Amino acid sequence: MAEIAHRGWQPSSALARRRPVAHGLARLARRRSTIAFLMCLPLIVIVAGLVIYPACYAIVLSTLNKSQTRFVGLGNFTFLLSRDVFWMVVWQSAIFALSAVFFKALIGLITAHLVNNLPSRGQRKWRGMLLVPWVIPLALSTLGWWWLFDPTHSAFNWIIRAFGGTDIPWLSDPFWARFSVILVNIWYGAPFFLIMYLAALKSVPEQLYEAAAIDGANAWQRFVHITLPMMRNIIAITVLFSLIVTFANFDIVQIMTAGGPRNMTHVFATYAFLLGIRSGDIPLGASVSLFMLPILAISAVFILRGVRKRARDIA
Amino acid sequence: MRRSSVTRRGVLKYAALGTTAVIAAPYISPTYAAGRLTLGCWDHWVPGANNTLTKLCNEWGEKNKVEVQIDYITSQGEKDKLTAAAEAQAGTGHDIMSHRDWNIQVHQNALEPLDDVVNQLIKQHGPISPVAEYLAKIKGTWRGVPTTVGSQVKPCCSRLDLYKQHAGIDLREMFPPDEAQYDKAKTDQWNWDLYLTSAEKLFKAGYPVGLPMGQTSDAVDWVGALFNAYGVVMVDDKDNIKINSDETRQALEYLKKLMAVNPPEVYAWDDAGNNRWLVSGKGSGIMNPPSAWAVAKRDNPDVAANCWTHPIPRGPKGRFVGQLPQFYGLWKFSSNKAAAKDLLLYISQRDAVGQLVAASFGYDLPSFKSLHDFDTWKTVEPPLGTVYSYPPRGDEQTSIAGAPARSDVGAQIYNQAINTVMVAKLTQGGEKPDDVIKWAERELEGTLRA
Amino acid sequence: MTATAVAVEPAGRAKSRPSLARNRRWALGTSYVFLVLFAIFFLTPPYYMIVTSFKSDAEVAHMATNPWIIANGVTLDQYKLLFTQTDFLIYFRNTAIVTICVVVITMVVSILAAFSLGRMKFWGSGILATGIFLTYLVPDTLLFIPLFQIVRGLGLLNSYWSLVLVYPTLTVPFCTWIMIGYFQSIPKELDEAALIDGAGHMQMLLKIFIPVALPGIIAATIFAFTVSWAAFVYPLAFLYSSDQQVLTVGTVTSLIRADVYKWGMLMAGALVAAAPPLVIYAFLMDYYIAGLTAGATKG
Repeated sequence: MAEIAHRGWQPSSALARRRPVAHGLARLARRRSTIAFLMCLPLIVIVAGLVIYPACYAIVLSTLNKSQTRFVGLGNFTFLLSRDVFWMVVWQSAIFALSAVFFKALIGLITAHLVNNLPSRGQRKWRGMLLVPWVIPLALSTLGWWWLFDPTHSAFNWIIRAFGGTDIPWLSDPFWARFSVILVNIWYGAPFFLIMYLAALKSVPEQLYEAAAIDGANAWQRFVHITLPMMRNIIAITVLFSLIVTFANFDIVQIMTAGGPRNMTHVFATYAFLLGIRSGDIPLGASVSLFMLPILAISAVFILRGVRKRARDIA
Repeated sequence: MRRSSVTRRGVLKYAALGTTAVIAAPYISPTYAAGRLTLGCWDHWVPGANNTLTKLCNEWGEKNKVEVQIDYITSQGEKDKLTAAAEAQAGTGHDIMSHRDWNIQVHQNALEPLDDVVNQLIKQHGPISPVAEYLAKIKGTWRGVPTTVGSQVKPCCSRLDLYKQHAGIDLREMFPPDEAQYDKAKTDQWNWDLYLTSAEKLFKAGYPVGLPMGQTSDAVDWVGALFNAYGVVMVDDKDNIKINSDETRQALEYLKKLMAVNPPEVYAWDDAGNNRWLVSGKGSGIMNPPSAWAVAKRDNPDVAANCWTHPIPRGPKGRFVGQLPQFYGLWKFSSNKAAAKDLLLYISQRDAVGQLVAASFGYDLPSFKSLHDFDTWKTVEPPLGTVYSYPPRGDEQTSIAGAPARSDVGAQIYNQAINTVMVAKLTQGGEKPDDVIKWAERELEGTLRA
Repeated sequence: MTATAVAVEPAGRAKSRPSLARNRRWALGTSYVFLVLFAIFFLTPPYYMIVTSFKSDAEVAHMATNPWIIANGVTLDQYKLLFTQTDFLIYFRNTAIVTICVVVITMVVSILAAFSLGRMKFWGSGILATGIFLTYLVPDTLLFIPLFQIVRGLGLLNSYWSLVLVYPTLTVPFCTWIMIGYFQSIPKELDEAALIDGAGHMQMLLKIFIPVALPGIIAATIFAFTVSWAAFVYPLAFLYSSDQQVLTVGTVTSLIRADVYKWGMLMAGALVAAAPPLVIYAFLMDYYIAGLTAGATKG
């Protein structure tokens, strides 16, 4: 692949030299784009029918009053902005998502390197072990964690007590409760980063490292100047995906703390659920869910543009 | 609409059920074609309890040539509410759904008025629980029929042995398994002050009571009951915020002392936390329906044999216990409304209610006082009579947090657990009572928007 | 990080430099130490789940003994009850059907789309490529209400086929992105050569691109498999009969009764539910890694 990268846009220039047949090529290009469009059609149907239409519906919903009889414009949003609890939720969601994604990415990167280093015989075993958190359905593994943290039966506290310590109020103290939900998220998500990074690491051509070694680059330099740039796209996509999914995460908080204690672990999804489903104000719940959409959408567009641009440069 | 003789027979069959019910004005349902009726009912946690409801519905279905199909939908993960919200929004789904706590109010616009059914039941069974009325009679119209299945109250469930040994209180003597033997002099002693002093003793002995202080219904219910006993009003029925009062300060002061002798993990408990606390044998008392006792019976029989369910303590304003009824709602979009109403009447007859209560070992509590006398509550053991005082006995009144505010507002207060968050801010967060009250005032303002 | 760079040194050269060999052993040792630490973090909950699943209800409730070991005898009751007293096996079958269908649909849709978006261009393809990723921004906790209407309209309510319909929204966008990346990394000469040879686009895709992008396809398959195996919100909203229910929701709803948790069986259910994905991973990961390595050296 390194060669490709060096060769750059040669093929297109070759194409340019064949100008005399431009007329035929134009027809070919038209046919080509029709076929391309047809190939995308199933995707477009799925996205339009099952995401865009429902999303528009949700946006309309967020502009209605509680009984959905009256248009209130941005009334739900201005109401939310005036609530202390909502601002707490915004802040908490940001901490929750950013810290969880950061550590997931970090642990994923480290473990991917460690596994990649092993002799190939041992890799399989370690890979298997490290992937376990990602394959247990989240709703069920969170229950397992919750059982470990359970106030009356906490098995962690049993160990702490065995060493003469005092119980940690895992889920009842706001600090520890936040710590716990973030920890579970990292535990669940890190293996996903591990797989993605491992794949990316494997695709970095060894010749690049060899060349760098000959130039006398040390390990850190090789990591920064070869590994990271080669992995940038995969890191960007994985982080973006994880960030979005973590922002929208529902299961972990709902199962472990349901937002408590004192609303101090609520995130967007659980707070929206509380307002929309439990308290029955669906439009207000929809507004909470949609609150992050513009911010995330803008950042996503920029990240994805970068990814596509880099991908084109490589290809 | 035609009226047919089938319907008249249908009415007569209730009279023939041989209950104490007086059918003053026969409920005459319009005709309904033999057809299908679908129900989405709360999935009971007691093994086998669903079967009794299924059996009753099938009995009715056979008599009336209606095919009844029941889906049992769990409340786990609020699955039932999720389904109800989706059905209401989509305008399609089951004919009848059971709704917990505030869901009748939430879906009022999508629910068929059921005045005829409920009024008929009131005529048969006498007065209905004020909590049920508050939750299901919206703007003067009944939108839900109180169920037997899943309806509950949350009185004390305490350890007889621990209370006797460490607090010197004989709960069985105080609340014997026969209401007629209640001695007012003794039961009056059982107030929140005595509860606190005994809780302090039990705490010292290493067996604290476990009162949840999270944001789920067990916590909201007992704190709501205590607030009522102290006369705390959060929002009155005319949208006035009344939380800033001496009663509130008094209750908060009390709670500060009480929470100090609870285990610190109560702030993280969900509705099962207090159950586990009791079942583990570490706890001396909780406030819960007899589900904790039932689990103990299976997993820790020694604990179960010493459990006693009895009325909640009295406060300056009376003895209030948290009640959480469920309701059947009939969607407006249902195409078989007459049949649905008839079925609801059928499963609310005394005989049917008795079977349902028995199937749940007394957990299910009908909303009519006249239906609190089934043998089930006398005969369930061990120890014999342990759940006798589970239905409100003596001077115990039922209540719900959020009342007396208008129910849209009440729903927000209850579901956002403003009362327990207040207490947790005070006792766990170490905030000053005045700051807590100020915080609550702002939150309550938010609920008034509803 | 040191470890990485050293490890990629060709073995032959390492032999000629003894200090490097020592370095390498040291690096490998450090790697193992850290791996063990991470493995402890990753495996503690599964270990505890396994232990709990072999305990009796009474031992779990009492908490009188060390919770990390089975003190009162190993019992298989939890598994036995899980398979005989609950509808677990039905959930398992339903989940398998749903997952297989979703994986197939996802792969067909996303390979076609990714090929077209990554290798061919048409008006709006750039916007579409970015746009599909944005679909993740609308959370399923919000989408389920309008989707309920669609599902109901198609008569799929309370049928696991509704999940086959809606799960692709969770899987297709990310899979398409992975595939776009892989297709783009394939040399451009390949398709131009094929086009000039007169091969159709479909032939080109089937004969050239799919084999070359196999690691990407496997990565995407694994992703789609895991996501549809573990999804929670949609089955929670769309299914209520237990003969239609899937593993995640079914296990939770049939083993948690109001405030009664059957911990032993819950943990047993979680572990059995985790087995198929684990097997699939163990199996596919080899191909995945092998394919990647092959692709990289060829490049």
